[in-house]
This record gives sequence, C-alpha cells and structure tokens, in this order.
Amino acid sequence: MKKYVSVLLTLILISGIITVCGASEIKTLRIGYQPSTHQIAEMTAMEKGWWTRDLAKFGVENITDTEFSSGPPEMTAMMAGELDVAYVGTAPPITAIDKGLDAKIVASVNTNGSALVLSPGLAANYTSPADLKGLKIATFPPGSIQDTILKKWLKDNGLDPGRDVHIIGAGPGEAITEIMTGVVDGVFLPAPSPTIIEMADAGKTVVYSGEMFPNHACCCLLVSGRLIREHPELVKQIIRTHINATRYNNEHKEEAAEIYARKVRGTDVEKVKESIKRWDGAWVYDPHIEINSTLVYAKVDYEMGYTNKLLTEEDLFDTSLYDEVMGIAPAPGTVSPTPQPTSQPTPGFTSLLVIAALLVYIVLRRFKI
Amino acid sequence: MKRNRLISILNNRGIIEAISLSLTIILWELVSNFIVRNPGKLPSPYSILLAFCDIWEIIPLDIGISLLHFGIGIGAGAAMGIIVGMLMGWFRIVDRIMDPMVEILRPIPPLAWVPFAILWGGLTHYAAGFIVFIGAFFPILINTYTGFREVDKTYIDAARVLGCREEWKLIKFIALPFSLPSIATGIRIGMGVGWMCVVAAELFGVSKSGLGYRLFQVFWPLHMIDKLILYMIILGLVALLLDRLFRYFVEEKLFKWKRGIVIAK
Amino acid sequence: MNYKLEVRNVTKAYISEEGEIKALEDINLDVKPGEFLCIIGPSGCGKTTLLRMIAGLEYPTSGEIILDGKEVKGPSPDRGMVFQEFSLFPWRTVLKNVEFGLQMRNIKSKERHAIAERYIELVGLRGFEKHYPYELSGGMKQRVAIARALATEPSILLMDEPFGSVDAQTRNILQEELLQIWKRTKKTIIFVTHSVDEAVYLADRVVVMSARPGRIVECIDIDIERPRKRTSVEANVIREQLLRKLITEHKKVGLI
Repeated sequence: MKKYVSVLLTLILISGIITVCGASEIKTLRIGYQPSTHQIAEMTAMEKGWWTRDLAKFGVENITDTEFSSGPPEMTAMMAGELDVAYVGTAPPITAIDKGLDAKIVASVNTNGSALVLSPGLAANYTSPADLKGLKIATFPPGSIQDTILKKWLKDNGLDPGRDVHIIGAGPGEAITEIMTGVVDGVFLPAPSPTIIEMADAGKTVVYSGEMFPNHACCCLLVSGRLIREHPELVKQIIRTHINATRYNNEHKEEAAEIYARKVRGTDVEKVKESIKRWDGAWVYDPHIEINSTLVYAKVDYEMGYTNKLLTEEDLFDTSLYDEVMGIAPAPGTVSPTPQPTSQPTPGFTSLLVIAALLVYIVLRRFKI
Repeated sequence: MKRNRLISILNNRGIIEAISLSLTIILWELVSNFIVRNPGKLPSPYSILLAFCDIWEIIPLDIGISLLHFGIGIGAGAAMGIIVGMLMGWFRIVDRIMDPMVEILRPIPPLAWVPFAILWGGLTHYAAGFIVFIGAFFPILINTYTGFREVDKTYIDAARVLGCREEWKLIKFIALPFSLPSIATGIRIGMGVGWMCVVAAELFGVSKSGLGYRLFQVFWPLHMIDKLILYMIILGLVALLLDRLFRYFVEEKLFKWKRGIVIAK
Repeated sequence: MNYKLEVRNVTKAYISEEGEIKALEDINLDVKPGEFLCIIGPSGCGKTTLLRMIAGLEYPTSGEIILDGKEVKGPSPDRGMVFQEFSLFPWRTVLKNVEFGLQMRNIKSKERHAIAERYIELVGLRGFEKHYPYELSGGMKQRVAIARALATEPSILLMDEPFGSVDAQTRNILQEELLQIWKRTKKTIIFVTHSVDEAVYLADRVVVMSARPGRIVECIDIDIERPRKRTSVEANVIREQLLRKLITEHKKVGLI
C-alpha cells in the first residue's frame, strides 16, 4: 500500500513539474476561424492538407480548426488557452491584448469586405447616414471590426451610436434571421452574408465598408506569443502556408467559393460565388498594410473606453517573421522579436496541485500509512 | 471567563456573518493575487471595487431597465398566474382542459423561449418582459392552484350555510383569502426565478441597457471580466433586496394567521 | 301543533363500486319549536348526514324536509350550523367572522358591527373582537362559531358535535353556557353527539339511531327539571337506558 501511494504521488509530482515547465513540443496546433469568405485561405490550406504537410517537419502531428461566429468569442477562447492561431479581424485582438492576451499579429488576411444591408423598403429610401436614425442594426459584438467601423462611421457622420441607432451584437446566423424576420432594420456583416440576404430579397446593400473607411484592415493572422518565442520557424512556415493559400485563392476564385461552401455547412455555393463577385474586399498577406487602420481602431476603442490604454504597433504586431519569410530587411527601428511578456500567466492551479501532492506525501509519511 | 465572553460576543446577531464575509473576501484577494494571478480569469476584489468606481454612473440606469423588464414580467405573470391558477384550482373542468398545456410548457427553460420572444416581440422591452413572465408565471400558477385546492371543505360548508351561495362569492370571500399566503409564496418564488430570467431576457440585445445586456453584450465581448463579476454581484444583491422587501411588506401581514393553522393542525 | 321541523320519510343512498349503499333509511322526525333535541348513535350511522341534509348541504334521495312549513332546498342562514372544528375563517377576526352571515345579507357595516357585538357578548367574548382565531383556545373558538351561527337569527340551530374537540372541563362549561344561550334566545336546537352524558344533560328529547343503514331506533323524552345535576338518580336511569341501547347498536355493526 505504502509503495503504491509513494509511486502515485511521485508521478503526480513529476507530471505537475512537467506541466509547469511547459512542454517544448507542439504536437497539436489549434486554429480558430470564422464562417466568412474573408478567411477562405485557412479553409483552402485545411482542405488541401497543406497545414499538415507543411508543419509535419516541426513535429506537429495533429491540426484542428474551430469555427467561431465572430471575433470576440474567438478571442475569449484564445485567452482561455484554447487556440494557438486565430484567423480574426485586427480589432478583437486589441481589446484582448489590452486585457492580457499574449499574442501578436504576424500577417494580414483581407481588407474591406463588409457591407451595411438595409431591408428593401428602407434601402430604397436611403440617401445618407442620417436616415439610419432610430433604426435597429445587428452587427458583430463590441470589439469586432464591424462594430468598431460602424460606430466610428456613425460618429464621423454626426450620429451618436448609443442613442441614435440601436446596435445589437450577434453572430452572422442570428443577424441574418433577424433581418429576414423584420426584427432588425439592417445588418452590417462581412461577406458572404450581405449577398445571401440580397439574393433572398430580404435586403439591399447601401454602403460598403470600403466606403466607410477606405482600404481598412479586416482579418489577420494572430499567433500566440508562446509560439512566436519558442517556435519561430514553425510560425514562419505558418505564414508561408498562408501566403500560398491566399495566392491560390486569388487565382482560383470559383474553387475558393466551392471550398467555402463545403466548409461552412448549409451555404449555397452559387450565393458564395456571387458574393465574391460583389464584395469590395481583397485577400492579402502583408501585415504592414494593416498597421495604420488597426492603430485607428485602437484609438477608437480607447476613446470609447473599451481599452485601458492606447495600444501601439509594438503591442499588436510582430512583422519580423513575415519580413524574414519575404526576405525583407527590417526597417531601422522596427520591433525586435516579440519579447517575453512581463507578467507570465502563472499555471496557478498546477503549482497548487504540486504543493498539495507534496503535502499529502509528507502527511502520509508522518503517519506511516 | 475569556472563552465565555468570546462566545457571547459571537452569538450577537451578525458578528459571525460579518466575519465569514470578510474572511471570504480576504481569501479571494489572496487567491487571485498569489495563486491565479490572471485578472482575465479571476479579478481580485480590489479590482472589482475599482471597476465599480469606474462605471458607477451607468449602474442605476442598468438596474432601472432590468427592473423595468422584471416589472413587466412579474406584473403579467402574477395577473395571469393568479387568474389561471384560480380557475384551474376551483373548477375541475378547467383543470382538466388546461393541464396538458401547462405540463408541457412548464419544463421549457425560459432561455429556450428567447428566440421565440424576439421573433414575435421584436427588440423591445416587452420581449424581455416576456422571458421574465415565462419564469414567473408557472410558480405563481402552481402555488395559486395548490392554495385553492387546499381550501378546507368545512369553510365552504360554513360559508354556504351563512348565505354565501354563488360560486364567485365563495371564491371571493373564502377561497381567495385562504389562498393568499400560498399565492404570496408563489409570487416570491416567481420573483426569484423571474429575476434570474432577466439576464436571459437581455442576452440578445433587446434593449440598449440593463444588467444582463451590459454583461453579455458589452463586458463579455470586450473581456472586461472585473466589470462582469461586479455585475454578477449586483444581480445577486438586487435579487436579495427584492426578496427581503417583499417578505417585509407582504408576508408579515399575510402569514400571521397561517402560522396559527399550521401549529394547530 | 305546528312543528318547527318535519323530516318525512327521508332516505339517503349512495351509489358506489359495491352497489347501492343506504346511509339513512326512512327517517321520520318532528321537532317542536324551542325544543332541544339530541341525536346519538354509533359511528357511521348517518347522524351527521341527517344534520347536513337539514342544513341543506346535502339532498335526500327520497323524502322531504320541511322547516316552518316550507321545504328545504339548499343551505341558507335560517338554518344556522356549528361544526366540530376548523370552521372559523382563520383570516378574519372574531368580529369579522361573526359578521359574515350579515355581510352576505348586504347589511350595512355599522349595523353589522352592532349586531355582531351583541352576539359576541352573548357568548361571553367581549374584548376579543380584534383577535384572530389562531389566538383563541378551542373553547373560545366554538363560542365564536355559535355567535356566528346565531348572528343571522336562524330559525333553527344545528350543531354537529360542537364540543367534540375540546377537553372535558371546557366541554362542561360550554354545555352550561349553551343552555344559558338557549334559555335567552329560545332557539330550536338539534344537537348531534357521541356522548350520552352530554345528551342527558342538555336535551329535552334524545333520538337514538341504529347502525348503517341509519334508522331511528328510539326516542326518549328527558323530563328532568333544569338546571340539571349531572349525577342525579333520574339522569343515571336515563343514561343507563341510552347506553344499553347504544351498545346493542354497536354490537350489531361489530364495533364491540
């Protein structure tokens, strides 16, 4: 009996220590994405097995991807440690990193690509933003690109987003249901939702996001700080695979639509193809082009009280790995590789477990069980 | 001697409760600062206090809107619950007609009604009130029903002999006063459940403010966990206050005579 | 002579799973005005059922009940009733309980008060008007019940084992008070009881009922002068008589 207990306790101690120190191997890579045509690059690389193929040499045996209805819940999952890589707008990471998420934007994914759709009657009478007074608009939750751009645009046009327009946060599915059933007057969503609504005669696009904020950053590739620090080569390969997938989609738009329709169940492939024709977005990969507009988001968020401090390029981006991949010499004065965050999130409970195991061991010894 | 003195101090009302509460907060502060060390997961009580100082201006508005939703739901729930409970409790035939519907609808969680409420009620205070109504209606119904069913036959006999012959008179003068304590209990339970439904009601953004709205539509997407926990605490405190107020104003009066019966029987 | 109450050929039958059950068979009874009548019998003999039918709470299967020359059809305050227990409305004060019958007659509040106060005083509970039933003892509660029944000035007062749930001493006191009230109000009273002692002390006439199906077995007049002594020789003679009759009836049903 005594022997068993000792062995068991030693095992607990060892596994505790191992967890505390952190496994140096990455056996499973967990990717997050959203059901939007902005992020087909992830889907293409997944369906064609490029993630698996390219990352195998780093010891990655298993790659999973999880769908999130929008950016904020995706960031919640990443903050809980559920994701290593996220395809997400550049805005959600702002509020997340402000609250302690250890991650950086390493590449871009797309620009523009969202649209404000109003129900047919209202769309016909729409002339200017002032017509939106008193309407109910569904968009992604606060902190998302869509929410940030919509609110900024309303403010720029003299409207108070809190009082003049009733903005509710929802996922794409709910928002589409709500405009179709008349619960809301309009939606502001990324592609393909606007086209889906238009083709169902439930609404008409009145403003494209590219009109609200020309060439604005939308989705990006966000990677956990730990991966960047401990496995930079792995991250560079992720960037490369992403670039290849993006180039492929740009050259094979029809196939990209088909890949999307297979990935996101229940989508009509014809509607996706039409959406790609109608959207004002572009699939990209250079993170540099997203820096300016993202800093604008950071300012808007800070002014709205969504963040405690005004985040800087250093806080949000790490373009060094991309530059290495593309053979670009880093500009003088650019950020050095992502530094260790000053406050390490402690594996508090694991240390507690270790201490508890030790105590139990000592007590048992003491009483000679 | 010292020990006796200590015990008599502790026996004073509120001392042990106060100590327990303080110790819990201190323990929480220690755990969050030294063990968890992740404000994104477990903010410390101090940071929640700071969060309160940060947003205290908006709290009365949120409480007010949530109470509005609560009021709509409880008002409708009490009115309909008492009427239907009364009819089902007094008239056997009504009971048999309504029972299947009640038994099927009752177990459906209020949260599951939210999409239905939004589709039919739109993004209005009434949709939110509807969810609270669903939560409050059934306890009030059941308790009213039980109260009416429990009326002693002797009271009815005595009333009839004294000249109270019509059904509605028997209900008004005998069954209703007798059931009032049960109804009050039902309302109290309904209030508890209804308040819990306020968060579900406001989840989907039917209004532009409210405790549940701000919790799920603002703090959660923006990862403001300290404010989130602050609102959780506020939700609990408001519920406590509502319950105590109800007990003080209503039950004090109604339960006097019921206590007498319980002891006698 | 005009009888206060006439019970003519009353039968009460129920239909149950076993077939037809006769609770009462062929009851014939005449009650004189101002008479104090006691009904005794073994348990289940239907005496309570008979009382309820007189009150109008139940209907005879055949036969008629006639009060003051009019047939009884349903309950009404001119047949006042005092139940054994739990009949006072617990959510009403003593005053409001006694007022109830008057309230049902839409008598104005001031007048109700006055009448109710009178009867509360009659039963010796002055000062307890604002009390609730739960604050009263068993004996006091029954006094209130009597006041309540009398407040509507019924033609006849029906009492169903009213002192059955109070202790023996209180019972004796209440019996005496009831006799006082009876003397003052000159009401016709039909009093159902299990207790032979009680019947002998209170009644002008005692009706003995048989076991189910309930039939009137015997009517005994009690001519003893009032105020009666509980332990007098004549009382004992009648008591002996009644007890023997009851035991016979109990044996028939196998209760002994």
